[in-house]
Amino acid sequence: MNQRIYATVVKAISNQKRIDAASISQDSTLESLGISSLDAITIMYEIEDALNLEIPNEALENLNSVKDILDGISSLVQSKA
Amino acid sequence: MAGKVVITGLGTITPLGLNTSGFWQSLVAGRSGATRLPEQLPADLKVRIGAQVQEYEPLRFFSPNDISLLDRLSQFALIAAREAVADAGLSRDELRDGAVIIGTGCGGKETDERVYQMLYREQKHRLHPLTIPRGMPSAAASQVSMASGVTGPVFTVSSACASANHALIQALLLIRSGLVEVALAGGTDAPFTYGLLKAWEALRVLSPDGCRPFSNDRNGLVLGEGAGVIVLESEGHAKRRSATIYAEFCGGGMSADAGHITDPSTAGAAAAISRALQDARLNPEEIDYLNAHGTGTQANDISETRAIRLAFGAHADGIAISSTKSMHGHALGAAGAFEMIATILAIKHGVAPATINFNEPGSGCDLDYIPNQSREMKIRAALSNSFAFGGLNAVVAVRAC
Repeated sequence: MNQRIYATVVKAISNQKRIDAASISQDSTLESLGISSLDAITIMYEIEDALNLEIPNEALENLNSVKDILDGISSLVQSKA
Repeated sequence: MAGKVVITGLGTITPLGLNTSGFWQSLVAGRSGATRLPEQLPADLKVRIGAQVQEYEPLRFFSPNDISLLDRLSQFALIAAREAVADAGLSRDELRDGAVIIGTGCGGKETDERVYQMLYREQKHRLHPLTIPRGMPSAAASQVSMASGVTGPVFTVSSACASANHALIQALLLIRSGLVEVALAGGTDAPFTYGLLKAWEALRVLSPDGCRPFSNDRNGLVLGEGAGVIVLESEGHAKRRSATIYAEFCGGGMSADAGHITDPSTAGAAAAISRALQDARLNPEEIDYLNAHGTGTQANDISETRAIRLAFGAHADGIAISSTKSMHGHALGAAGAFEMIATILAIKHGVAPATINFNEPGSGCDLDYIPNQSREMKIRAALSNSFAFGGLNAVVAVRAC
């Protein structure tokens, strides 16, 4: 796992939900973190800005865990490289 | 009980035509008004489709001097009002003490964004002196009152996507109260500006390829634009002047979810539907057709289906339901006016417009959505739903005369 991606995703989630970054793990489900659809698009917005990415709408479908976000972002970063 | 309120004139300018006969013909034929957006919009805009008013040349409707004062949303409102007043056959004298209530979700965005571009990008330091009266959210209502000589209550109602329905219900209440005998009511919006499109894009609810309400492959809404204006009169006023009556505007129901800013609530929507039926003194079983809010987003279409079931119980399965947004797009503050006019004409002609682009029913979407083909049917009474972001719901009820 690319540390920069991991740090960016965790920071975006902790900023949006105002929770301690240490409480977020790869296995955390979005439901357990209380992430609504509006939270999700705001978190994606932060990540897009930080990593200079375009996250397509389809990529937001079927996200269940932090790991799903990390995997999706990693593959977007790779396809951009 | 207050006297009846009747509908005597219709006016529209929509992505389906520059007047109401074009609008209705397209609705019956199941034609989509969605097209590719103009290439001159900046390339970073990801959404490239929208339902824009086609072949619209402002100079065919207004003098160059007038246009300098008219934001696109005021132009649309004036064109629709002109047609509605002519259709009703009302004189300036008869309109004088009436009301004008126009809904808009966006206000004069074309004017606002042009000004911001001049100041922030082009570094200009002086603006056109009429920037304020051109762009103010109430500009369209003011322009319609001036053009039609209406001197009674004139104002704008803004409740996002429910603006037109809220405006129509305010007009209904004003006439019922006896404060006015005639009202021009409806909605207008012109949201195809770069900034507004980018903002909608950021919300991730725009479809990249088409509006498919209630269908399993739906992936968002398609924005629309235009205006719809309806002439409402007390029944007594209409009969005294021997006006042709389309239908009775028999009730309105309003509610707020007091919940989430974007996620719709089934209970809130159902409450507005039930209140409209109650206000109209209609039994649920009398509703034959319902024009749905039907945006084509995942959240709305499931929640609206549940709300219809909650409000109607077993009769939900007996109602023919369509989302005409599948054809005219989501014109935001004008949407309710388009849809009430579609509903009135459906009653008049005995034809319910279809939900086009319908493939397979979406999960949780299990009603009769009149898929793809308009349907000949007698309609005794009908509802038209509008549910807005912010949880603001307004439903109108129309009965055949």
